[in-house]
Amino acid sequence: MSAIVAEGISHWFGSEPALDSVDLVVERGDHVAVLGENGAGKTTLLRILATALRPSAGRLEIMGLDALKERARLRTRMAFVAHTPGLYPALTAEENLAFHCSLRGVDRARIPEVLGMAGLANVAQRRVSELSRGMQQRLAIARAVLHEPLLMILDEPDASLDAEGADLLAEVLKNRTAVIATHNQALATRLCPRTLTLRKGRVLGAGSRLRIVQ
Amino acid sequence: MRTARIAFAIARKDLVSEWRSREMVPALAQFVVLALVIANFGFQIDAKSAPSIAPGVLWLALVFAGIVAFGRAFTSEREQNTLEAVMMTGAPPSAVFAGKAIGAAAVLIVCEAVLLPALTLFFGTPLSPGLVVAVVLATVGMSALGCVFAAMVAQMRARELLLPLLVIPLWIPFIVAGGQAVQVAMGANGTIDEALRLLLVLDILFVVLTSLAARFVLDD
Repeated sequence: MSAIVAEGISHWFGSEPALDSVDLVVERGDHVAVLGENGAGKTTLLRILATALRPSAGRLEIMGLDALKERARLRTRMAFVAHTPGLYPALTAEENLAFHCSLRGVDRARIPEVLGMAGLANVAQRRVSELSRGMQQRLAIARAVLHEPLLMILDEPDASLDAEGADLLAEVLKNRTAVIATHNQALATRLCPRTLTLRKGRVLGAGSRLRIVQ
Repeated sequence: MRTARIAFAIARKDLVSEWRSREMVPALAQFVVLALVIANFGFQIDAKSAPSIAPGVLWLALVFAGIVAFGRAFTSEREQNTLEAVMMTGAPPSAVFAGKAIGAAAVLIVCEAVLLPALTLFFGTPLSPGLVVAVVLATVGMSALGCVFAAMVAQMRARELLLPLLVIPLWIPFIVAGGQAVQVAMGANGTIDEALRLLLVLDILFVVLTSLAARFVLDD
């Protein structure tokens, strides 16, 4: 069974088409990079795959479930790292994670583990407003893996991350299915064997790492 | 159980954030006291006129403080993109909504703790248990309605204008019953029980309706 099967996914914002009949199949354990210039529809596609946005048309199946009808169930098995970290500035890094543990019903014993993985153990007690943008992004990634998701949808996760950030992403994606939107060709090549390129909401091409290198 | 845990976590998070940032409570408390001071100077207040003026002043101050408190509850979540992160956990929208409403109601209750003694000071309104219960009951229903509309308009550009236009007409029953409670507390004919019963019925009605509407407002 494929992790994601998207058929004819289209989306309009008013009369403006953002996605036009996009097809995508992602196998379990596969990593797919979504590439394209600004306004190509990468974020819209990722938000639809993450169930944050309902497509105007098309069929979407994620882990064998109808993604339009089973959103609540799917969200417990997947994680979405949006373009902005979505953290509470007045709370500490640890409190932000503890809050999400409460929402997801995850044991708080996971917090030191994910903070350590993200390289944030020494700033656990600092408020998010005092953390750099890169640290906030690391925290958002740490939050995304609290519940051990099977599928990760990441929208430009490398934004604001330093060179070591790519190592963190590689660690996070290990043994998981992932779809990543990025402008960083080097990151896409390193993390994702497959790519999907969008232009003006349409699939321009799909390929493997070998084809990109060629 | 899960719903209660999530609602509590959200309310707690909002209150901790407010405690640390002190963005709203000091400003709202100052606002309600200023409203009473202006009313005190604006009206010719004596023992005879106070019972008819005090309810209006109390509810005007509360309505405008409520508009600010409920509006902020969702605007900050949308601005920081935190609401989407919460919804992506698979938390039931009704639980998220309940948590936000409890947090906003708690902020308003803190303001009421300043407002009611100030009302006693300026207008001589006796601070009876019946009056306190009436104000708290009204706050519950007003919070439910205020939060659902605040969530609805949070992404709109004219939200500061739209929220009062949408929510104040629906708050009128609370203002009528609450005003009656204040008048009875100040010696008018009738019993406060009647007003409390009406407020309780309104609370149940609007809490149920807004919880059902939460899914469509927050997640669709």
